Amino acid sequence: MMHSEVINVEENTPTVKTIYFEWKQEAKPGQFIMAWVPGTGEIPISLSSTDTIKSITVKSYGPASDAITKLTKGSRIFFRGPYGRPFSTVRGPTLLVGGGSGMASLRPLITKDSDAIVSARTAAELLFSDRIKGGKVFEVTDDGSAGIRGNPIDALGTIDLEKYKMTYVCGPEIMLKKIYDFLNSRQIRAEFAMERLMKCGIGVCDSCSVDGFQLCRDGSIFSIEEMRGMTEFGRTKLTESGRRIYLNY
Amino acid sequence: MFAYFIWTAPNPFITSDDLLKKDTMNRLNTQISGIRLDNPFILASGILDENGYTMKRVLDEGAAAVVTKSIGISERSGYRTPVVVEIDGRNMINAIGLANPGIDNFGEEMKIARESMKPVIGSVFGSTAEEFALLSRKMEEYGASAIELNLSCPHVKGFGQEVGSDPDLVESIVGEVKRSVKIPVFAKLSPNISDILEIAKAAEKADAYVLINTVKAMAIDIYARMPVLSNSYGGLSGPCIKPVGIRYVYEVKRETGKEIIGVGGIRTGEDALEYIMAGASCVEVGTAVHSDGRDIFKQLSLETGKIMKAEKIESIREIIGAAIRK
Repeated sequence: MMHSEVINVEENTPTVKTIYFEWKQEAKPGQFIMAWVPGTGEIPISLSSTDTIKSITVKSYGPASDAITKLTKGSRIFFRGPYGRPFSTVRGPTLLVGGGSGMASLRPLITKDSDAIVSARTAAELLFSDRIKGGKVFEVTDDGSAGIRGNPIDALGTIDLEKYKMTYVCGPEIMLKKIYDFLNSRQIRAEFAMERLMKCGIGVCDSCSVDGFQLCRDGSIFSIEEMRGMTEFGRTKLTESGRRIYLNY
Repeated sequence: MFAYFIWTAPNPFITSDDLLKKDTMNRLNTQISGIRLDNPFILASGILDENGYTMKRVLDEGAAAVVTKSIGISERSGYRTPVVVEIDGRNMINAIGLANPGIDNFGEEMKIARESMKPVIGSVFGSTAEEFALLSRKMEEYGASAIELNLSCPHVKGFGQEVGSDPDLVESIVGEVKRSVKIPVFAKLSPNISDILEIAKAAEKADAYVLINTVKAMAIDIYARMPVLSNSYGGLSGPCIKPVGIRYVYEVKRETGKEIIGVGGIRTGEDALEYIMAGASCVEVGTAVHSDGRDIFKQLSLETGKIMKAEKIESIREIIGAAIRK
């Protein structure tokens, strides 16, 4: 287990914070760490900055993530990693599609050539849409409080996707599945950050597997081609106990 | 009786590589309690064996058989994270906490795993002979090729090692399960007891022993001033426990002569052969999946075959227990 000192905490939305800490380790966009709160728990979180100064962007959803959002400047942060296969990087125009806190792992991919579809439930929850420099931002909200009212597909349909060298997608599985179905019939290069319950982070416990691939090791980034044959994606997943449940997206 | 001699012309489509592979494959064939194995490498319980699709992939990628995650009567979520600690990249301590969906929810995973057409060994845990028997019957119904009795998980109260260190209980569990199923029954024993021979003797009705489970251990983070695992204690696995496993396999084989599945720290062909020469008929591999990836199974077959060829060992069977001094 490694540790570092929190050097800054940024409030991005009313429910999301970004914690900055120094860690010289090389890491790439799409990779994640297992962040440990001693006495509380350990959770996988993707890096939202991958330079010497690293960051994680966290929404409180359980005891460990809640404790992480309460870290302050000078607190100690414990973690291990970096883990996972990163996004492939390309030269030229890219499109980022982030749903909810999904924009966190896409942030290190932002260049002056990046356009983005940023979606959330409400205007206040739109994450990092202000970080897109140079490119266009398409905001989408469930309630119509900002941008297009609807889901990312409503924005995707209005964009000429063929001009992008790569489309990167991160968000809840139901959103990934809808976008996958939308892009699948088109000749488009795309990569998806998949999400599953993760316990060990090192490819042994089988909690995060999809079709025999461990998200923590073989993913969590998969190309659209790799996802084509997956029978579990968007259909079933295992709970904490290993019980199979059906998603039916 | 007729004997046929069939002469075949050299086939131009068979390369020397294929011949080498075929040669290796023949050497690596082995069996345990009548279950035929393409090679001596079985995926150990607790590693990549909760999801049927994962077990199927591990089998398709080169494991001869898999042992499922230990399954109990009812659903358990296991411990809070952290549930693993990495030690020096190759070893680890885990305390998953017997997370499992409960036997009634495990049939579908068995069905998916068995699409590989290779043996799936059902691991079960319980606290009484009746529970073990019920679980084993269910596993047999699901098509398991054998049962592995978890008598040795070191980190859950009321199960595993706590059950497995009571000789009378072990005897009644093994006896009851043997009466309940037709498939072979393997007893996985713990190294965390003072006299393994006493327990091995209590479990002598089993068709084979599986030696060893993890070694009870702990890691403390000095900067957090507390144990890393949420359960504090866990089971140590990886190359660092190999000498312990070798000793137990050797000792139990020498004293009982019974078939043994060796497990503990195997990540090279040499490690595997060491276990086999100590008395194992085949081996289970777990933590090396962490250090080397799922590809470890192919690598192990290749390495072991090469060493056997160089050492002029024609079959696994010929070297089982070869190192034992009588």
